[in-house]
Amino acid sequence: MKTASDLKLGENAIIVDIDTNHPSSRRLIEYGFTPGQRIELVNKSIFNDPIALSVRGSLVAIRRKEANCIKI
Amino acid sequence: MEEITEKKTPLISLVGAPNSGKTTLFNYLSGKNYKTVNYPGSTVEYSFAPLLEKFNLTGNILDTPGIISLNPASPDEKVAISSLYYHPDYGSPDVVLVSVDSSQLSRHLLLVQQMLRAHFNIIVVLTMGDILERKGFQVSEDALSKRLKCGVVRINGKTGAGVPRLMELIELSLSSKKTESKFNDPEFDLHHKLHEEFHHQHERHHRRNGDSSNHRRRHFSLLHLLSFFFAKRKCHDEGAHNHGNHRSINDLEKLHGVDPELLRNSHKLIHIFHEIEKIESEVLVRIDGAESSDKQKSNFNAANNQPDSFTIKIDSILLHKYWGLLFFVLIMAATFTSILWLASPIMDLINIAFSSLSQYVSQTLGDGWLSDLLANGLIDGVGSVLVFLPQIIILFLILGLLEDSGYLARGAMLVDRPLSKIGLNGKSFVPMLSGFACAIPATLAARTISNKRERFLTIFILPLMTCSARLPVYALLIAFVTPQNKPWIGGLLLATIYVFGILNSCLISGIINKFLNRGRKEVEDDSSFILELPTYKRPVFSIVATDTYNNAKQYIKRAGPIILTLSLVIWLITYFPNSNPKVDETNKTRNELVQLKNSERLENSYSAYLGKFIEPVMRPLGLDWRVGTALVSTFAAREVFVSSLAVIFKVTSTEDKLQNSILKQMREATIGNTGQKLFTTATIAGLIVFFIFALQCISTIAISKKETGGWRIPSLQIAFYTITAYLFSFLTVNGLRALGIQ
Ligand SMILES: Nc1nc2c(ncn2[C@@H]2O[C@H](COP(=O)(O)OP(=O)(O)O)[C@@H](O)[C@H]2O)c(=O)[nH]1
Ligand SMILES: [Mg+2]
Repeated sequence: MKTASDLKLGENAIIVDIDTNHPSSRRLIEYGFTPGQRIELVNKSIFNDPIALSVRGSLVAIRRKEANCIKI
Repeated sequence: MEEITEKKTPLISLVGAPNSGKTTLFNYLSGKNYKTVNYPGSTVEYSFAPLLEKFNLTGNILDTPGIISLNPASPDEKVAISSLYYHPDYGSPDVVLVSVDSSQLSRHLLLVQQMLRAHFNIIVVLTMGDILERKGFQVSEDALSKRLKCGVVRINGKTGAGVPRLMELIELSLSSKKTESKFNDPEFDLHHKLHEEFHHQHERHHRRNGDSSNHRRRHFSLLHLLSFFFAKRKCHDEGAHNHGNHRSINDLEKLHGVDPELLRNSHKLIHIFHEIEKIESEVLVRIDGAESSDKQKSNFNAANNQPDSFTIKIDSILLHKYWGLLFFVLIMAATFTSILWLASPIMDLINIAFSSLSQYVSQTLGDGWLSDLLANGLIDGVGSVLVFLPQIIILFLILGLLEDSGYLARGAMLVDRPLSKIGLNGKSFVPMLSGFACAIPATLAARTISNKRERFLTIFILPLMTCSARLPVYALLIAFVTPQNKPWIGGLLLATIYVFGILNSCLISGIINKFLNRGRKEVEDDSSFILELPTYKRPVFSIVATDTYNNAKQYIKRAGPIILTLSLVIWLITYFPNSNPKVDETNKTRNELVQLKNSERLENSYSAYLGKFIEPVMRPLGLDWRVGTALVSTFAAREVFVSSLAVIFKVTSTEDKLQNSILKQMREATIGNTGQKLFTTATIAGLIVFFIFALQCISTIAISKKETGGWRIPSLQIAFYTITAYLFSFLTVNGLRALGIQ
């Protein structure tokens, strides 16, 4: 299954599921990453990680490791 | 007791996501006439103030650090959240104002929903309405109020419109609370329960210690120390205990009648968000009053879910693969140079002011010990606390500007990857940056790092950053080895030392990280980096100034007493036992006599004994007891090294610049009667290396102990930095000598 970490720059997708086994998943949900929301990869750090996603109109930087629990 | 009166004054707490407008609102309600207070036993500062008189309502208002949910992820959030349930000094809040950014309604309503589920008496304050209005929408107060069954009010953060309405709601909420029967009021019960328990602990504590002191602060810290020892034995959970909270959030939730599962379970959280989305579609109305069709609403939703386009544009430069790095380096370089160059004239002024004051006092009061205590112990002590203030203030002004403009979060994002390779976190960025002014605020800043290992490692390496106290020392030592006609060499050396500090910290952190990871099966732990990137905007000076003021105050409160006490101790051991030495008084001016006496006194003082005692240790570094004595005195603050040298080497001239006279004496100094020069290029290089590593700062040790919740990290730091300082200094001196450089 694809995850938010597979998005290309400028690409968007709708969240299908959040892997709640991941230790960061609750925090991601609290930042507004919930199933049904549209997210977009708006920027990447110089080293390709972390990535900046837009969700609910705001930008959140997360590591790729964490982006992996956002299923799209 | 004090508390009864405190209970009578209603407490209004202010919570909300970071940057949601809490401090702006706080300033409207309190008129900036606030004081900063501590959550007892922790280092998280709050602004606290009575309501402005013009509102005709008695009440105290408490501003808290930003949180996005009732589930804490880092120590600072833990403190913020538990203070919401119960603040040991001010009790439970009677009403909580939850600030909600209207343009981020769906995200910020999460906290509101959680607060309601946790039975808080809340009023929702909608901020940033102007931003939403630009998109043609606003939030209907009535609709939201009906839906949430709590007070809702719109506040314009720029004009203050809506504040009177907020006051009405607060008054209403407070008075309806009062009329309720206290025995039916669950919050009253909670307060009561917590209160009683708390006093129980006090009593027990008293009895154990036979201490009848009524001083609350001390009480608390002792209590916390105690509870920490207990906590350590009982549970290994990195709970609130470590940070001085004597009660875990779980306990507080239970006492508050909250089901923790309701707040923590991911599925429940997702459910809350679904509910919020429904609410959002009901309460968003068009400004022109027209009924908005579903289609318009969904258009709006699509538009509102687009991040700020201006921000995206700037980010495409500031987060660009190459430009981003360039700007990062430029911004950092600008920060350092301003800390160094803007502060130095002010620091000089402070130095001059305090030394003239001290001179004035010693001249008017004469020769006695009291005069000396006041002049050289007290006044110089206060001076050595205040002299760091300019750099700290400038650092926090710049950090504040970077933060309020939105860049700081990007900086943290840029360095997260490299820092995570060496066991740190992007969030270590701000502490490391602050470390260049002073390790104390830097250590405090580390509490935003959620992962314990990363936080402790960050705190561990902070003393390696070239803090401002080292600057006068380096200035003197570098001046010694810099040829008169080539001053640029000095500048280059100083820059090298700064860079070396950074590289060093990365290297040491990397090595320790490797070492820590060796025995670990699973390297993947709960290390995480989730950070909101705020929209770029022009920073507001009053907000930056408020934060700077708080930080500066915190520095004085933390470091002040320690540095001052130590200065007095150092004064004691340098003044006694030979407090009134006999000197040959023929043909000497009064000034010369005083200085001669000072030097004689010091030569036979306790600190000189101490210096002589450690002389065998200094010898391998090519140094003698006099430098040893000066090094002992640096435990008050590193920069004291310079003034100690001046006293030890009987620097007498007053007309000349102090540094030049010390340099002159230093050039002439020889070891014992061997005729061998004491200060050479090699020994000076060795001393510089010593100062790069050595952790001679009691305040840093104290703060490190407090923030890591025990002696483990600070004792490791002391051992590690003392050994490395000595070892590398030894290698430098003898290596250079082996190469033929004396
Ligand atoms: N446009 C707009 N900006 C606001 C409003 N209220 C606050 N701000 C700005 O938002 C930023 C964050 O506000 P602050 O009070 O520091 O938020 P805090 O982090 O919750 O304390 C500041 O730059 C404020 O000037 C508002 O109603 N409209
Ligand atoms: Mg604030």
